[in-house]
Amino acid sequence: MNCLQFENALSDYLEGARSSEQQAHVNSCSACSGLLADLTLISAEAVSLRELDDPAPKVWSALEAQLRREGLIRSAARPLLPDFFRRWRTAWLVPVAAALAIAAGIKLYHPAKIGDTQPVAKVSVPKSSRAPAVSAEDRDILKTVASRPPAQAVAYRNDLDQANAFIRDAQEAVRNDPNDIYSQQMLMNAYEQKQMVYRLALDQSNDGQ
Amino acid sequence: MTDAKRSKSAKLSEPEAIEKAKQGDAEAFDFLYHLHKRRVYSLCLRMTGNTASAEDLTQEAFLQLFRKIGTFRGESAFSTWLHRMAVNVVLMQLRKKNLPVVPIEETTEGEEEGTIRKELGAPDERLAGSIDRLQLQRAVDELPPGYRTIFVLHDVEGYEHNEIATMVGCSIGNSKSQLHKARIKLRDLLRVNRAEKAGKRR
Repeated sequence: MNCLQFENALSDYLEGARSSEQQAHVNSCSACSGLLADLTLISAEAVSLRELDDPAPKVWSALEAQLRREGLIRSAARPLLPDFFRRWRTAWLVPVAAALAIAAGIKLYHPAKIGDTQPVAKVSVPKSSRAPAVSAEDRDILKTVASRPPAQAVAYRNDLDQANAFIRDAQEAVRNDPNDIYSQQMLMNAYEQKQMVYRLALDQSNDGQ
Repeated sequence: MTDAKRSKSAKLSEPEAIEKAKQGDAEAFDFLYHLHKRRVYSLCLRMTGNTASAEDLTQEAFLQLFRKIGTFRGESAFSTWLHRMAVNVVLMQLRKKNLPVVPIEETTEGEEEGTIRKELGAPDERLAGSIDRLQLQRAVDELPPGYRTIFVLHDVEGYEHNEIATMVGCSIGNSKSQLHKARIKLRDLLRVNRAEKAGKRR
């Protein structure tokens, strides 16, 4: 048996159909014994690829949402929003609900009030790991609330930071999957939350003047 | 589901979770998904070589599974049922994209002889009894789609040639010969990779 004949029958050899002629060739040919060793090794190592990778968490989120839409999950409904949104929501519920109640019936925001040059108190803000709010609108809002009692001003600043962080999270989710309705909804919710903070701050400013 | 809740539901056995999932229990679906997600996702990723496609196919495979879970009677293992469903989902996707599920036959004499000639000329380039798992994964990703399908189904997933022939629609002989060529191709890729690494070290 030569090398070509051996290789042509190698597939069956690896499956266990081994002739004495093949065995004799392997024992005498270093090239073919090397080839056999390598292919056996590749085949053996292949099993290690069976459970090598984890899917991203968003796969389950999307699947779970679809199962609920199709009515396959029928147990007590989990809130529609994902965990990280609920984390934000708990921090928001009390001030936002209060803001909505106060805002009802109060005149709408008047843009000219934003730039009022009132004395600006120095606001002490706890350091956050997230990027600070820096947009021009945010700066105007912070100027507006700076004249409030320090604790209140700090609370507004924190609320604004949280709203911006929530928007960034939602934007990232949308960037990762632009077609995901779930992420789009989260982004809309995030903007609504920020709108509420603005309204709360400005309505109270207007009310007090 | 939080880790605490998942740990609680981890006390479920698979048969219990299947029965609960049939009743629409959210934790049971969660449990079954997390029990099998790695295997299904890895299968999809190896066969497509693309993360985004693998995620979509994983979702689709589980979705099909959960839609049909009411019909599962336990004649075969749940995992066998799921993996077979995942394979079908991937194969259907490959066909939709017109990617070859079975490679085009390349049985010219020259190519068959090539492996041995290279081997005789380069006895020192053997894989030397070890393969890095990451290197193997990359080499599998580099395989042409047709070779990759047969290799993943046989050597990674453990299907027999007769099962593969049924799944992909080819003869048993074809499955065997393509598997052999896939392994040879992988060996070449791994050797090239090893030689490049050695060259960088020098």
